[in-house]
Order: sequence, then C-alpha cells, then structure tokens
Amino acid sequence: MEQFFQQLTNGLAIGGIYALIALGYTLVYGVLKLINFAHGDLFTIGAFLGLSLLTAFSLTDKLGFVLGVSALLLMVVCLVGLVGILLDQAAYKPLRSSHRLSAVVSALGMSIVFSNAIMLIFGASPEVYPHGILPSQVLHIMGLPFPVKRLLLLVTSLVLMVALYTFIQKTTIGAAIRAAAIDQDAARLMGINVNRVIMLIFFIGPALGGAAGVMVGLYYGQIKWTMGWLYGLKAFTAAILGGIGNIPGAMVGGLLLGVIESLCSAYISMAWKDAITFVVLILILIVRPTGLLGERVAEKI
Amino acid sequence: MKKILFLIAALSVIAAGPALAADSIKIGLTAPITGSWAAEGQDMKQICELLADQVNAEGGLLGKQVVVEVADDGGNEQTAALAAQRLVTKGIVAVVGTYGSSVTEASQGIYNAAKIPQIANGSTAVRLTEKGLKYFFRTCPRDDEQGRVAAKTLTGQGYKKIAILHDNTTYSKGLAEETKALLEKEPVEIVFFDALTPGEQDYTTILTTLKTKGAEVVFFTGYYPEAGLMLRQKMEMGFGVPFIGGDATNNPDLVKIAGKEAAEGFYFVSPPVPQDLPSKEAKDFLAAYTAKYGAAPGSIWAVLSGDGFRVMVEAIKQAKSTDPDRIAGYLHDGMTDFVGLTGAISFNEKGDRVGDVYRIYKVDAQGEFILQ
Repeated sequence: MEQFFQQLTNGLAIGGIYALIALGYTLVYGVLKLINFAHGDLFTIGAFLGLSLLTAFSLTDKLGFVLGVSALLLMVVCLVGLVGILLDQAAYKPLRSSHRLSAVVSALGMSIVFSNAIMLIFGASPEVYPHGILPSQVLHIMGLPFPVKRLLLLVTSLVLMVALYTFIQKTTIGAAIRAAAIDQDAARLMGINVNRVIMLIFFIGPALGGAAGVMVGLYYGQIKWTMGWLYGLKAFTAAILGGIGNIPGAMVGGLLLGVIESLCSAYISMAWKDAITFVVLILILIVRPTGLLGERVAEKI
Repeated sequence: MKKILFLIAALSVIAAGPALAADSIKIGLTAPITGSWAAEGQDMKQICELLADQVNAEGGLLGKQVVVEVADDGGNEQTAALAAQRLVTKGIVAVVGTYGSSVTEASQGIYNAAKIPQIANGSTAVRLTEKGLKYFFRTCPRDDEQGRVAAKTLTGQGYKKIAILHDNTTYSKGLAEETKALLEKEPVEIVFFDALTPGEQDYTTILTTLKTKGAEVVFFTGYYPEAGLMLRQKMEMGFGVPFIGGDATNNPDLVKIAGKEAAEGFYFVSPPVPQDLPSKEAKDFLAAYTAKYGAAPGSIWAVLSGDGFRVMVEAIKQAKSTDPDRIAGYLHDGMTDFVGLTGAISFNEKGDRVGDVYRIYKVDAQGEFILQ
C-alpha cells in the first residue's frame, strides 16, 4: 500500500511537469498546426535562467522561501515568454505562408541552436541548484508518508493549469485565442488581431515550459543542457495522448503519462517502462485516434 | 591573362597543400565534445592539445610538428561512425578515443579497415578487444577486471542481499552482468537486477522498489549524473541503503549533484583519480594542465586519453615511421612498462593494457574521494 501510494504521488508530480510542458505544444498546435520542436529547449532555458537568477540575486535568502520562489518563477516566466516571442518572430513568422513542413524543419533547427547555445554559455557538465531551498518535511496522510515538496510541485502545476484554463475559457482574450484556433480567417474578419494572438500563444506556452524548468531544477536539483529532449518528448507524447490542440487533454495526458510510467516501472519492469508507455499510447490512439479528449476537435483549445 | 595567372596561382596553392601537410604528423582525437558526456570530451581535447604543444615545443615528432585533428563523436554511435569516416579521410596516422564503449564499438571497424591504429581511453566493455582487431588498443582496463574487484568488495564487506542496477548501455550492462555472474558463485542473494533510463531525473520509483526488495547494498554500474541524483533522492526518502558505484561514477560532479551530505559514504571502484597518480610525469602534467586551463581534469578517463596520445607518440618515435603495421607491432611487442601518466603501460596481444589498475574509493564528509 505504501509503495503504491508513493509511486502514485510520484507519478502525479512528474506528470504535472509533463502536463505543463505539454500545454506549450498544444497551444501552439491549436492555433498554428505547428509542432514547436524547440519547446523542450525553452524548458531547459527556463531551468538555467532560474538557476542564474536564483544565485545572482540570492532571492530565497533575501525574500524568504515563498516570496523568493514566487519572484523567481515570475521572472523566469516573463523572460522565457520573451524568448518564445523572439523564437516565433525569427524562425516561424517568416515561414507562415510557406508549407507546414518548412516551419517544422525550422523548429528542429532552433531546437539544436538553443540546446547548443545553452551548452556554450553554461558548459557541458550538469549544473546544480543550491540544496535545501524547498522544505524537506514529510507529511503523514493516513499513515502514508508524503514529502511536502512533492505536494508543492503538484499544487503549483495544478494552479498554473487551472489559471490557464480559466484565462482561455472566461476572458475576452481567451475567446479570441479560441476563435483563432478554429478559423484564423474568420477570426480576422471578426476583428481579431490574429498576429497578436499568435504572439500571445508564443508567450504563454514557453512561459509555462520555463516555469516547469524552474520547478524541475528546484525539485530534483540537477539540470543539464540535454534535459529538454527527454522532457520534450514525454510532454509531446502527453499532448498526443490527451488529444493535441486540446488544453484539458494536455493536462490529463501529462498526469496520466506520469502515473503510467511510474506504476509500470514499479510493478512490471523498469527497463521496459518506456516501451510499455508507448504501447499504451498506441493502444489509446487505435481506440481513439484523436486522443483521449479529442472529440472536441471542433473547438480545439 | 589575369584569369590564367589566377588559375596558375590557384593550382600552385593546391599543389602546395599536401606538401605542407607532409610537414606535420596528424593524430586524430575522437571525443564526446557535445552530448551528455561533453564534460569528459572537452577535457580530452584540452589534454591532447596540451600534450601536442609539449611535444612540438621539444622539437616535434620525427622532425615534424604534431597536429591533433579533433572530431566530435557526440557520445553517440551514429555521430561516432560519421566522425570516424571524416577523420579517416584527413590523413591521420593514429587516433585516440573514445569514451563510451558503445560509441567506440561503432567506430573501431572503420579505423581498423582503414589501417589506422586506435587507442580508446574510456571504453571498458570486454568484447571490444575480443574481436581480434589488429589496430585496436586501449589504455583503460576491462570490465571483467572491474567486475572481479566489485564482486570481491561486495562479498568482502559481508553483504548477503545485493541489488544490481545498470543503465542498458554496452558498458554498464556488461559490467552488471560480469558482476552478477561472479556473485552467483558466492553465497549471496541477488534481490534485484534491472536497468534505469539515463537522462531522467526522477529515480524515486526505482529507489522505492529497491526498498521493498530489502536490498542491503546497491551496486550501480551507470554514470555519475544518475548516481548523484539517486544518492540525493535516497537521502530525501530517508532510505539508508549503501551504494557502491562502478568507475563511471568517478567524477567530482557526482558530489556536486548529490550534495556532500548525501554523497558521504558512497563507495566506488575505479582506477586512481588524477590527484592520486603517483609518478612525477603525472604531477608535472597536472601542474601544466592546471596552469593552462585553471583546473585539474575532472576524471581519470580524460587523463587516459592523454596516455593514449603519449603512447602513440612514443610508438611513432620508436618505430621511426607512421606505418600502421609498425606502430601496431611496436605497441603489441615492443612497448614494456612505458611510463604513462596513469602508471606503467604495456599491451597484450589483444591490445588490452596489462596490469592491475583498480582501486576502491570512498567519499568523505567533505566530498573528497579518498583512496581506501
């Protein structure tokens, strides 16, 4: 029982991270039908920027834990969001009217540029977040141990996801994003500035990825310039699993993927974990080719 | 007329090209300059370039300048094969590298077919030298040797329930299987034998499983980034099982990742770290390296590439030729107890280094690697 509970909460925590990154894929796909392969590296940029800002301003020493980490998250979110906008302006906007594959190739190229730039700036060896920033207490829920920092990770990612969902569903700008996702031309005719919407999408998606990067850094301690690839792949899978282009889908897909992975490696085989995860993905896609929540294709996002 | 003059000038430059090249001896270096082992690869490059500068300052080799031709193998098999094919066309007479066993395996056939002597520095998988390749050598020891030392340490400390964890790479799996086979002959129980996925960051799932299996000790044959993370997560879980690592955990970054508190008490099996190298050559080299690059090389593996380079230079000097057969012949039969940075170097008929190099290290409270 304890093992099951441990593995489940652990899977949910890592799933929350997958979900945050998956949202970036899904938002961009929803509006532009483009898989932003550089997204995983924006996540890495977030992790590295977080470390630099944290140590440069010694935020948690000056502001205390809650304020320090919130300030850090806010700074990273804004900066990575800006990088996202620049990425779009430099690599995708000039290709907006060309074939969809051109933009995909451009995305792959930007991914290589980003990851190698991180390596050249920060070095090739793994970097380490200062130890002991997150509280190390362990809660006991009905006799089962539950580390506080795991709870924090899960709660933070859930809060960010709910905030995004509310923003998209309840605000006028959110409605504009949804409209642009359904039909860009019609949205333009209704007076929506589609270019602004795209810019906003390229701010929000990378910003969430950057936040996930900082959270991974704080939680696991070690960050590396190659980490975006694996997280990006997993998050992309999560986005497909939930139905790409669909925001609740990315959230459900991320959490589900985390839990499947964790339980697979605990009860079946660790070495076969990824293989089994992808078999599950294939099975789900055979039964539901549009992904778990994919029936809402008409109103993507 | 101008065009013809230009053409003649261009042609003469082309003709002069090979003549210039003939004034230097090119030694290739294939190293993971990028990829997840880039820290090792960049040290390898710096070491070989420093050693080449030293050789050139002392008058060069056979009266010619030594040039290190670096190719990035990215720490992966496909890139390594491409890098090998590119190096082969560049007129190198010998090649040093590379680090990971599976990566070396992808390139060794290419060099052997091109008759270019290769000397690997970190590739410890047994089968690399069991193929009968005439031009393949290595300065590092083999996994069966390491497995023997590991099994002896594990049983010597009285553990009865042993878990073995690897990461599915050629090297790591090979070492895990060697050790498992040796342990099965002993009165101990192997309670766990499985692989993790390198590059991930969450190993609490594995640690939880290890806990439920009741392992008294965990032998991890993978690399330092994963080992460091596991030590840290193990401490956070309050799981006190001791970890023993293979030689790929021998890197100061292990302590950086795990934190001193979590790393304390971690044992690993490894050739000596650079600072523990006894000879005068090693001390002089480390001093020169630190003076030039500001810090000592991170691990023994990069230093072993320096030994590979020095061995090749010595072989060319002794053979008085860059003929591959004469170089390989000298390395197989002629070289006895050459004073390397990592101790005396000789090779057997398979191209393996002869002699006992493994030591046991323990991490102390300050995060230093202490020779046991």
